[in-house]
Amino acid sequence: MGKEYLGEFEELVLTMVGILQEEAYGNAIVNEIKVRVGRSCNLSAVHVTLYRLEDKGMVKSNMGGATNARGGRRKRIFTITNSGLAMLRAMKEQQMQLWKLIPQLK
Amino acid sequence: MKKSSSSPSFALRILASLCPPSLYESIEGDLLEQYEEDEKEFGEKKASRRLFWNTLKFIRPGIVLRNKFSFNLFDHFMLLNYFKVASRVMARNKAFTLINVFGLTLGITGAILLFLWIGQEFTYDQFHADKDRIYKAWNRATDKGNINCWDVTPRVLAPTLQEQLSSIESAASYAGWGDQLLFTVGENRFLKSTGAYTDSTFLRIFNFSLLKGDARTALREPASIVLTEHFAKELFGDKDPFGETLNIGASGNTFPLKITGILKDLPSNTDFKFEYLIPFHFVDELQGGMERNWGNNSVASYIKLKAGSDFESVNQQIKDIAKKNREKSKNIDVFLYPLTKMRLYSKFENGIPSGGRIEIIRMLAILGICLIVIACINFINLSTARAQRRAKEVAVRKVSGAFRFSLVAQFLCESILTAAAAGIVSVGIAYLVLPLFSSLVQQPLKLDIANPFVWGIGLTFTILIGVLAGVYPALYISSFKPVKILKGMKLSASSRSITRNFLVVVQFGFAVMLVISAIVIQRQINFVQNRDTGYSKDHLIYQYLTGDLPKNYTAYKNELIQSGIAESVTKTSSPITERWSNTSSIGWNGKDPQVNILFERFYMDEHISSTAKLNIIEGRDMDLSQFPSDSTAVIINETSAKAMGFKQPLGEIITDNGQDWHVVGVVKDFVLTSPFQKVEPLLLFGCKGDWAFNVIHIRFNTSHNTQQSIAKLSELAKKYNPEYPFEYHFVDVEYENKFANLKTTQLITNIFSAIAILIAGLGLLGLSTYMIEVREKEIGIRKVMGGSVANITRLLTVNSLKPIFIAIVLFSPLGWMAMKWWLNSYAYRVDLNFFTIAYAGLAIISISVAIISVQVIRAAKANPVDTLRNE
Repeated sequence: MGKEYLGEFEELVLTMVGILQEEAYGNAIVNEIKVRVGRSCNLSAVHVTLYRLEDKGMVKSNMGGATNARGGRRKRIFTITNSGLAMLRAMKEQQMQLWKLIPQLK
Repeated sequence: MKKSSSSPSFALRILASLCPPSLYESIEGDLLEQYEEDEKEFGEKKASRRLFWNTLKFIRPGIVLRNKFSFNLFDHFMLLNYFKVASRVMARNKAFTLINVFGLTLGITGAILLFLWIGQEFTYDQFHADKDRIYKAWNRATDKGNINCWDVTPRVLAPTLQEQLSSIESAASYAGWGDQLLFTVGENRFLKSTGAYTDSTFLRIFNFSLLKGDARTALREPASIVLTEHFAKELFGDKDPFGETLNIGASGNTFPLKITGILKDLPSNTDFKFEYLIPFHFVDELQGGMERNWGNNSVASYIKLKAGSDFESVNQQIKDIAKKNREKSKNIDVFLYPLTKMRLYSKFENGIPSGGRIEIIRMLAILGICLIVIACINFINLSTARAQRRAKEVAVRKVSGAFRFSLVAQFLCESILTAAAAGIVSVGIAYLVLPLFSSLVQQPLKLDIANPFVWGIGLTFTILIGVLAGVYPALYISSFKPVKILKGMKLSASSRSITRNFLVVVQFGFAVMLVISAIVIQRQINFVQNRDTGYSKDHLIYQYLTGDLPKNYTAYKNELIQSGIAESVTKTSSPITERWSNTSSIGWNGKDPQVNILFERFYMDEHISSTAKLNIIEGRDMDLSQFPSDSTAVIINETSAKAMGFKQPLGEIITDNGQDWHVVGVVKDFVLTSPFQKVEPLLLFGCKGDWAFNVIHIRFNTSHNTQQSIAKLSELAKKYNPEYPFEYHFVDVEYENKFANLKTTQLITNIFSAIAILIAGLGLLGLSTYMIEVREKEIGIRKVMGGSVANITRLLTVNSLKPIFIAIVLFSPLGWMAMKWWLNSYAYRVDLNFFTIAYAGLAIISISVAIISVQVIRAAKANPVDTLRNE
């Protein structure tokens, strides 16, 4: 990729957005990270990261429908954009390439 | 959300008020969802606590400030557009742009020069590494309720303090007595008086850097000398002077001194002025031991405290040192005053520090700010006056959706562009005239245009000035209601005229005050220059009695008179333009022991009245051939006679230092020291004190050409004093030098008043041009209805002159008071009278009329057909 870089946490959040699809909103991502990676992270940190990713064009967001849960507040659902996906893919490939360069002990 | 306790909901409320609304709903939703989960897992209490903290964690820049700063408004395309529009507007109105830029340039250039000067003043003697520990000793004498302070102290003070006080690191006496020394190195001879005597610690107290030599030892041996680089070069040329020996001639003897140090030339920002330093031990040995008289205040004493010692307690300890050592000094306290305040705060009034040079600096700063303000006023007035022209543009922009903010930004861009243009030109001009200005104020000022820091400051100030000048017009013009403007409503040219007239009043007020001070200074100089000095300065010269002259004096004098070039010759203790000695311990018959009068001392041999053309009003002049007893005679001046209360002064006996002197004459008061002050009591003693003679006064015979006389004098000087270079001084030139300071003040005042008037005049020119432009049709109609050119001219001129009249009325009392305060420092001063203000007012008004009338008459003469035909 060109000039845009993702930090480690940004990459993690972006991946989660990709995994959760229609269910990707702040709290769900916090829980997903907890379940899949075993890392507990703060809600506000996830929110800020999501907004930053939105600024960079990696995700886009729209408001979901209201439910009875969560005091009737709507969710902001994030979806990964094509450039976000491309970014993830590029980073993965880059890492794989580098990984291959490490002499493997058999 | 009933369940959550009050504190989390309180946190949520704070967040709600800080967080952008578009984000808030989903954030709150997520927080509540988490709360619900936590409640199931940990119970209500812990869940609310978590909610509280999680909510607070959202108060962070990434959330709170999101979308707060939108840089879209400052989009660089818009900014470029502003500058494009601004430059087009400026190019379209060349005359107004020129007036604005030129006015601002004058103001900024003046301010740059003044502030460079002010900056330089604040660096004086601030470069010494331990400046905060260095102090100068002062005396404070209480005399019948009056407290006097002065900074000349006894020679023994510094060594005594160093011996007795452990908290003093080092102390040094320092004296630049200005005595003439003849420096001889091989064939090179120089007569110099620009050196000082000081103790060996001097170079360790102050940071005058030595190129060669050791600061600790350089001045330790009596027969040593430290030279500045420049003076060393003068003496030795390209040869290395360090370690060499030179000869100095002092009081008829020659002493070899070893050069133990070469100083880098002194920086310009120091109050110390010397080309060579000679150890005080040298003087002490000449005088047969250190002068231990606590009553003889003749040197400056500098003291460096040890690091960490308490200044106040040292001050307490040294307070009584003079009292302890001398019975007669029981009214004298010694105190320390910081070196850092020496330059700017060294005036004492009744024992209390009361400003000093800083007062002048403050005046200069005010002057600098005033110059910029009156230049800004020009910009403000011209922009608001011409608002009508921009009104349609503003209206159209508003209709097409421009925010007021962006309109303000656009107009500010214009003013900043104007200020920037003026700023760049000013820096250039200031750079060019700086050498001239430096020599005028006798400070080597530098404008370091290679320094990016200087440019940073310049840029900041340019923007500041741009905003200062532009913010009011920008707010005013951008406030127009587009509906009214586009419907064709005219802003009357006189709307806002109160603000505008007020600003014109301020502008011309400054100008009036400056003109008044220029006139008063001019009159004061004239007045004092025309003062009757009491002696005749023309054809009178003096020489210093150097080398063999004292020995050959009689022969020299006789030959001068016989050859016909001199009418009369008198040797004296000091030049007739200077006071070298004074005393308050004169005794006379009937003296009130409580009275303490300071008398000027002056010694001479004879014939002073014919040499200096003094006016003896009672008794006679001294004449040794006729009255040999005149060697112990004294002539007193009128003021002395009055001070001593003599009804019949002739024959009275005056005692000085145990010697009796009999009064043989009374001389009319003449100016010995400052022509600005009143004449002090003066005693002209006879030649009994033969040691006292330093100077020879010669009155040239007017029947000879001065140049021939000088040539002859040089011949005779060579004959009788072959060792020393020939030198002489014209008394009238030396007398004129007493005015040098005031003349500098005068020149500076004149320059800056001229600048102020020029700027204000430019503003007036711009305003009147515009007023006439707007009233063209009115003038046309008036003419059609039968108004005469004279009528119309009067109408328009009087209208424009109104604020100027008001300025003169309001501000001349201020100028009057300021100059009254200034004149108070002179005992011999011109009377301020009404005419001073009248002159100033008249000058300002005639300049204004000249500016206005040219255009007014042209407008009044215009054919109404031309102005009215297109309607």
